[in-house]
Order: sequence, then C-alpha cells, then structure tokens
Amino acid sequence: MNRRRFIKDVLRWTAGVSLAIPSFSVLTEALAAEKPQAMLALATGEDYHALVGRVLAPLGGMATFVNPGDRVVIKPNIGWDRTPEQGANTHPLVVRALVEAALAAGAKKVLVFDRSCNEQRRCYANSGIEQAIRDLDDRRAVIEQIDSRKFVPVNITRGKVLTKWEIYREALDCDCYINVPVAKHHGLSRLTLGLKNSMGVLGGNRGSLHRNLGQSLADLATVVRPKLTVIDATRILLHNGPQGGNVDDVRRIDTLIASADPVAADAYATTLFELEPGDIEATVAAYELGLGEMDLARIQVVSA
Amino acid sequence: MRRHFPKLLPSLWRKASQLVFLAFFLFLFVKTDYSGSDELTWAVNILFRIDPLLAVTAMAAGRTVIVLMLPAAITLALTLLFGRFFCGWICPLGTLIDGSRRLIERGGAGRERGGRQFKYYLLFFLLAASLFGLPLAGYLDPFSILVRGLTFAVHPALDHAATSFFTLTYQHGPMWLNIVTEPVYAVLKEYVLPFAAKVYGLSVLSLLVLVAVLGLGLFGRRFFCRSLCPLGAMLALFSRYSLFRLSGGSPECGGCRQCRSECRMAAIDDERTIAAAECILCLDCLPSCPKSLIHYGWGRGAKRGQAVDLSRRAAIASLAAGMLSPLVLPSRLLARHTDPQLIRPPGACAEEEFLGRCVRCGECMKVCIGNALHSTWLEAGLEGIFSPRLIGRIGYCEFNCTLCGQVCPTGAIRRLSRQEKHVTVIGRAHIDRNRCLPFADGVPCIVCEEHCPTPDKAIKFREAEVVNGRGETVTLLQPYVVGELCIGCGICENKCPLSGEAAVIVTAAGESRESSGMTMYGY
Repeated sequence: MNRRRFIKDVLRWTAGVSLAIPSFSVLTEALAAEKPQAMLALATGEDYHALVGRVLAPLGGMATFVNPGDRVVIKPNIGWDRTPEQGANTHPLVVRALVEAALAAGAKKVLVFDRSCNEQRRCYANSGIEQAIRDLDDRRAVIEQIDSRKFVPVNITRGKVLTKWEIYREALDCDCYINVPVAKHHGLSRLTLGLKNSMGVLGGNRGSLHRNLGQSLADLATVVRPKLTVIDATRILLHNGPQGGNVDDVRRIDTLIASADPVAADAYATTLFELEPGDIEATVAAYELGLGEMDLARIQVVSA
Repeated sequence: MRRHFPKLLPSLWRKASQLVFLAFFLFLFVKTDYSGSDELTWAVNILFRIDPLLAVTAMAAGRTVIVLMLPAAITLALTLLFGRFFCGWICPLGTLIDGSRRLIERGGAGRERGGRQFKYYLLFFLLAASLFGLPLAGYLDPFSILVRGLTFAVHPALDHAATSFFTLTYQHGPMWLNIVTEPVYAVLKEYVLPFAAKVYGLSVLSLLVLVAVLGLGLFGRRFFCRSLCPLGAMLALFSRYSLFRLSGGSPECGGCRQCRSECRMAAIDDERTIAAAECILCLDCLPSCPKSLIHYGWGRGAKRGQAVDLSRRAAIASLAAGMLSPLVLPSRLLARHTDPQLIRPPGACAEEEFLGRCVRCGECMKVCIGNALHSTWLEAGLEGIFSPRLIGRIGYCEFNCTLCGQVCPTGAIRRLSRQEKHVTVIGRAHIDRNRCLPFADGVPCIVCEEHCPTPDKAIKFREAEVVNGRGETVTLLQPYVVGELCIGCGICENKCPLSGEAAVIVTAAGESRESSGMTMYGY
C-alpha cells in the first residue's frame, strides 16, 4: 500500500461512514426561520370522495406526499364503538378516498390502523372503516388489527415530560405517515384533533398521560411526524366527546382541512368550534417546541 | 329383526361419530366469539340445549319450563329408543376420556363393577337439591366441565404458547423464517386462537377438574362415566328400557368371557348379559365374540341384564339429602348481605333464579368481548362457584355488546336487545376521592369521564381550584358520578390509570334486576 492508496482509502471510508450514520439533530428553530409560510387547505362539499381530492389539490395533490413505491400509513381515529353518524370516529369515506389517493400516487402498501379505546374489532366494524378498506378490494390497502408485538420502546429525546414510550413500529417505519383525525369535543383537552389522534399509535397505559396531556402530546409529536394531516370535520361532535353517542350532539359541516403542518391544522380547526388555537394546550405546547405554526394570521388558508 | 354388521369393525362407525362430534364441538367452541356482527350465528349453547341433565335441573330450580332447553327431550326420546348412544357416540368429554386412555390407564383395568350406583345417588341428590334451591348440577355436568376447562385454561394456554413462539420468531428470527412463520400465525389467529389474550378466574381449578376427570381412568376405563357422571346416570335410567339394545350371552358361550374383558363400562356380567343401562354402545364387544353372538337389535324379549343394583335406603337418603341441605342456606350471612362486588352480567335473572338456571358452562365468560366476566368463587355461596361476575378492573362490559345473553343456554342471562342493554343497570360507579388524582393529588386526569359510554355521560366533571402537592393553586377538572345515568359497565374502573386498585369502583348497588327481597339495609 503506498501513500496515495492509503489517503484514498481513508477518504473513502470516512465518506462511507459519515453517510451511514443517520443524523437526527435537526435544528428546528433554524429550519423554521427559513421555512415558507404554513399553508392550509380547506374544502367543503357533500361528495367526500371528491372533497378529499379538492382539499389536497392546493397542496399539490397526494403526489406531493407519497412517492411511487412508498409504504404509507393512514392513521384515522377508530377509537370508539360508534357509527359514522355519531361523529366519534373518522368518516369511512374520507379514509377510503385518502387510501385510494395514496394508491393512485403509486404507494406500494397503504396500512390503516388505530389502537382503539373500545374493543378493537367492534370499533373497526362499526366505524365502517374496515368495510370501506375491504371494499377497495386492493391487496395493497390493508387494515390491520393492532399486533402487540409491534410496539417498540422509543426514546423521545426532545420530550419535556414524555421521554420514553412504546410506539407502534409501523408508524415509525413507514415512508409517509398521514394523520386523519376527526374533529370533536373532549372533556379534558377541550378538543381532540391531529396531535391527540397520534395517541392511537401508543402502547402502554395511555391514561397516565392525562396528568399533563398537552405537553405529552407535543412531546409525542416530535417523534410521530405526519407528512400530511387531514382533519375530518364532515361531522363535528360538539358535546359529550370524545365518544359521543347522541346524534344531537353532532353537527354536519362537510368540511375537510389539510396541511403539511400538524400544528397549523389543529390551530385552524379550533375555529370550527368557536375556540382559539391558544385554548388547546397541546397546540400551544407543540408550537413552543417549534413543530409548526399556530398563529392564524401567519397561516395561508386556501379554500378549494 | 337383526342387523348384521359388515366385516368392517363396527366400532369404527362409533369412532367416526365421536370424532365428528368432537370436531363439531371444537368448531362451536371457537365460534363462540364476536364475529364482526352483533348477532352470533354459532355457539356451543347448541350442545348444552340437548343436555337433559341441565335441562331438568335448571327447570326444576327455576320451577318453569325453559323453552330453550326443550331439545334435550329429543336426547331422552332417542335414548329410550336406541340406548345410551349419547355417551358412547356423541359426548365430547367421553371422546376425550377414550382418547386419553393410552396416556392414563394402566393395562387391564376395567372389570370392577363397584361404585357405579354412586352416579345414580349423585343424580338423585342433584335433582332434589335443584328443586329445593341448591343448584349444583353444573359442577358435574360433562359439557360444563369440558367447556370450563377449555375456556378458562386450555385455550388461553394455547394462545400464550403460540404468541410466545411467534413473538420470538418475529422479534429475533431472520427474514426468511418470518416469511414462513407469520402466515402460520395469521392463520392460527384467524381460525383457532382467541382474538386477544384473556385471563380467567379459577382457571387453574377448572383445568384441575378436567384433568382429574380424565385421570380417573386410572381406576378403570371410563371411570367418570361409569361411576360419577350424573348425565350418564340420567340417560342410563332411560336406556334401561330402550327398545333397541345389544344382546348376547347364551349357553353356547361356554367358558368364554372375551366380551367382558373388552367392555369399557363393565356392563357385561358373568352370564354375559349386557346391561342396557350401563352399555354405551361402543360396539367393541362385537368383534371380540368368537361366535358372533352379540347383536344390536330389537330388545323385547331379550334379557334385561342386571337391574341397576340400587339400594332403596341409599336412594332415599340421597333424595333426602338433596331436599334437606338447602334448608341451611338462609342461615348464612349471604342471606342478609350479598357481596357488593358481585356484579352479575346484564340481563341476569334475580339472584336465586339466576343461580338456579346457570349451568356453569362458562360460555358467557368465553364470549365476553371485554374479558369482564369471571368465575365467582365463594362470593355467591357454595352454590355460586363458576357462575359469572364482572370484575371491572380486569375487563369492562362493552356498551353495545349483547353476546352473553345470546350464548346463555338456559336464559339465566336474558337475551337483550341493544336498546334494552343500554338501560340495564348492573351496578353503579363510585369515586374514591382519597385516591382519585384531581382530588387527592391536584393532578388532571378524568380518563373515566372520557370513556363513560352513556350518550349523556354518567361521569361528569366540575372545575375546581385546588392546592396540589407542590403547594400551587391550580384549576382542574374533578369527576363525579350521576347515579341515575350510570349503568355500571365498569369501563371507568377498567381504564382508571392509577396502578393497583382503581379510584373509581363499581359495585352492584342499584342493579336493575329484581332482588329477592331478602337483603335489607337501613329501616
């Protein structure tokens, strides 16, 4: 080995090693300074299939988020043994249209799941979401019952109160994670929106997070990071949330909100309930962690 | 009228039948579960409804005709016609006893005839006791023993074994292995294993009872069926007069006793007469007879075989014991003060009738989607063991689910519509402010309120200003229960995030089934 060869090898090895080490030390604050204005799309209509297409259009369509060959996770709220009319779960037609859009964008696999609060099978069946996915009759679209073997302990290094928790690995491993909450009332957090919906990928005793729910959700949002949030406000539950049960508590407003910024989506959704973004602790905490924009004046809202 | 059997061993037909019914039983067992719709299509209750022992004791205890159990009359009628085929050809526990024979028996056992009267005395005792208010038949019914053992112990053990193995391969196995193992696990999950890991009260005891029944083979072939099984005794009382039966034994036999040594029920005496009461038609004796003297056919005129050698005194004593022992029940504390933790499933009859009808089959606990129902131990008295109760900390009653009432073979748990279920009160929740976080520690929580399923929530909250553990004054939400709205489903107790005992506890107080009027508090 001569000197030239030695130097060449050292350079090659160094380059290889530095490329192989994954780096997560993203300086959010630095990124935020350069980030363009948060953009949010808003659409209203009765045909939910078309509505999904319309609300995604200003963001560049599903192709902005899903690349051909991607493994996509679509995470609706399937938390409760309730029917679509009761507004406790994400509407099955919204979920189905999003799955179709992801498939059309070339996704290799689209996985749908939620760790429910009521019995898993009843939630999947009565929410209508299981059937909606099956109706697609596409082998790439899969709705999966939670498999307890898939929870992995994750260190949440940026978390202030939530520093370690078991998270469903599919939510972490995928190429594109799409959060599809339903907008509704919640006793403790006032509303449950996108940040709260991420609790559906958690294992363990989730109730204990209620001691400091807002901050816990913001901490969680540092590791569970949707590329796209679509808030289902086709029906909004105004009282007795999060599980409702009385259709009189539900208002049908046929609206969808979509944004790449999870905080902006939640912030804007508060206005549907005549609340302010600052009323929701999780939104404020996530904003303070630099995870997105909550100032409505600085969010560009595009009606589609 | 004589039937001649072909060269094919006749007992093969019997074995085939046993296998078919065992498979059918296991199919029904696995199917006794939520299937994606609110109504169940298949459940093991079909088999319980052809069980005349449970039919008669449940009707005697309830002093009513239970229409659901009427198919059991068909079993009795067929027994009167064809003999005790039920024990030899159908009973899945009998099949398992036969099947485990090689594992358990020491060779040659099986000729002793002693002790077989005992099952009749047991039957008389159980019948009388049921009629007079002490229902115990479910403890010894073969179906009940089997379903309990499988539900509480064997099925969960199977699940545990499979899940442990496939977790190992999933988490530590190489990719190529998972390509093979994961589909196998998926198939097992779909068709054999329970949906989720479940726990059950008295699981070990149930397994021990089942193992003991099989292990009794040590004392002789089919020892349980011969000497203990009260259902067998009941069928024997009918098969004794059956129109068709096995008959053999003639002067031609000479000194041959081949059939006797073959008989698993010791139903053949020294004269080689076959006792129709004891014979379960296994047909093993047919090929054993060197002169082919044994035939199944019209039994009139044939020798009846030994009469059931019951002593009149013992029979009367067991009847009397059954009549008298219930008299001690009202002197127990239980008569004045029922256990407040004893929460019965929604739709359960009033306690006395409930215990009378309940056959301890464990099906409600098998089907309970929330793993909320568990075997009672002594909380409901000696006669309450294995009856179902809700333990909120382990599982809760799913608001829209009505499965337990659908599987109950006797109507001890009434079949409820979803609307009825929503307003059926099985208990009431109480908040323990000494432990509840917003009260005791000044920490936000209200997980109970979040999960409360009644559309107008039975757990509501008030805003309160409290001083927390660090001396800071904080505003938070404190839960409270609205008694009239609470139905006692136990989801609050179940989901309460405290470790150990929950800070919200459900007791049977306020349950909507009629009380027997015995318990009295206050004045």
